[in-house]
Amino acid sequence: MPDPLNARLKTLMIDTLKLEDVTPDDIRDDEPLIGGGLSLDSIDALELVVKLEKEFGLKIGSSEESRSALASVDALSAYLRAHADPARLPSA
Amino acid sequence: MSDAARKDARPPRNPGPSWGFRFLRACDHVLPEVVFRPARQIGTWIALANMPAQRRHSRDYLRVALGREPRTVEVFRHFFAFEEMLMLKLRVANGRPHRGELSADCEDFARFVQKPEDALLGTFHVAHSDLSGFLLGGDTGHRVSMIRLRMGNSHDVDKLGELFGGSVSFIWVNDGENLLYALKDAIAAGGSVAMKCDRLEFASKTEAFGFLGARRLFPFTIYHLAVIFGRPVFMTVAVPGAPGHTVVHATPRWAPDPAASREANLASAREHFQGFLAMVEGLLRANPYWWFNFIPLNPEVAA
Repeated sequence: MPDPLNARLKTLMIDTLKLEDVTPDDIRDDEPLIGGGLSLDSIDALELVVKLEKEFGLKIGSSEESRSALASVDALSAYLRAHADPARLPSA
Repeated sequence: MSDAARKDARPPRNPGPSWGFRFLRACDHVLPEVVFRPARQIGTWIALANMPAQRRHSRDYLRVALGREPRTVEVFRHFFAFEEMLMLKLRVANGRPHRGELSADCEDFARFVQKPEDALLGTFHVAHSDLSGFLLGGDTGHRVSMIRLRMGNSHDVDKLGELFGGSVSFIWVNDGENLLYALKDAIAAGGSVAMKCDRLEFASKTEAFGFLGARRLFPFTIYHLAVIFGRPVFMTVAVPGAPGHTVVHATPRWAPDPAASREANLASAREHFQGFLAMVEGLLRANPYWWFNFIPLNPEVAA
């Protein structure tokens, strides 16, 4: 059964970055988000970070932190579970 | 700092000696202008002789701007115009009264100055533009964060920062990797954020626009930030006016439409930036020595 947080993150990415012709199933959980198949660049990463901060009540303060959080959907989920407001995370 | 950032954090660029500004400031105190100006001209000839790369870039730019091979004296005038702007910055930093005024055709920006809103302010290394953030902050009390490249000799900017410290703050950049995150924090903190938008270094997004007879690459990051943060954009340049005055030219206000798609917003932003480039080109065609980029002119791309 897919991780509900991973599923939500994929939808959020597609909506925020307006990724055309991409469905949640096209994004692998372990696929690199920056510089990978999605071709996200630093501005896309920033836009995603701004959305994540708003959505999950956290602050990502540096490029290094963002790169580590956005390494993959799995990495982002782990980051959010460690740093986000638990009340905003979907229940498993 | 990551390894990549460490590698990218080059030592600050410093085209002149680190004591240069202090020396000029001291000379300005003791020498009458009738002596000091010729001395600065001699100094500029020496700089011209000792800066072959900048001399070459000046010549390349002037060839495009003038439409012919520039003479050496014209390259000197280009260097000297830049020196005079640095001198003005030093003098303003040392308390010389200097006023900013708006050109007659920028009603939106006049409204912004009267009643500031949090905006993104883009400018170029053209004429007095380095002063516009200070003049704006100083005249209106509006808080402006300025993105600046840390130079080895930032004495002039440090002094200006002290003078306008209540309204102007700096985001010093010598690490391109974290620039966007520094910008994010500055925007979130409120006030306006001013950035130079003509040099490609540290630019996250570039696009080609018509400028000086060709399609050339320019940073386009400011408009992406405007879309992400929902902020309006003004593009401005400041040029010499009457003695003791700087005239600010500004584009109309551009703001992303929250109901429109990102692509639609960026399409209208492209028109806005192209309008700004036409304004800058008009100023440079009339006053070619006001272009203060002694680096390769923005590269041409195929149409």
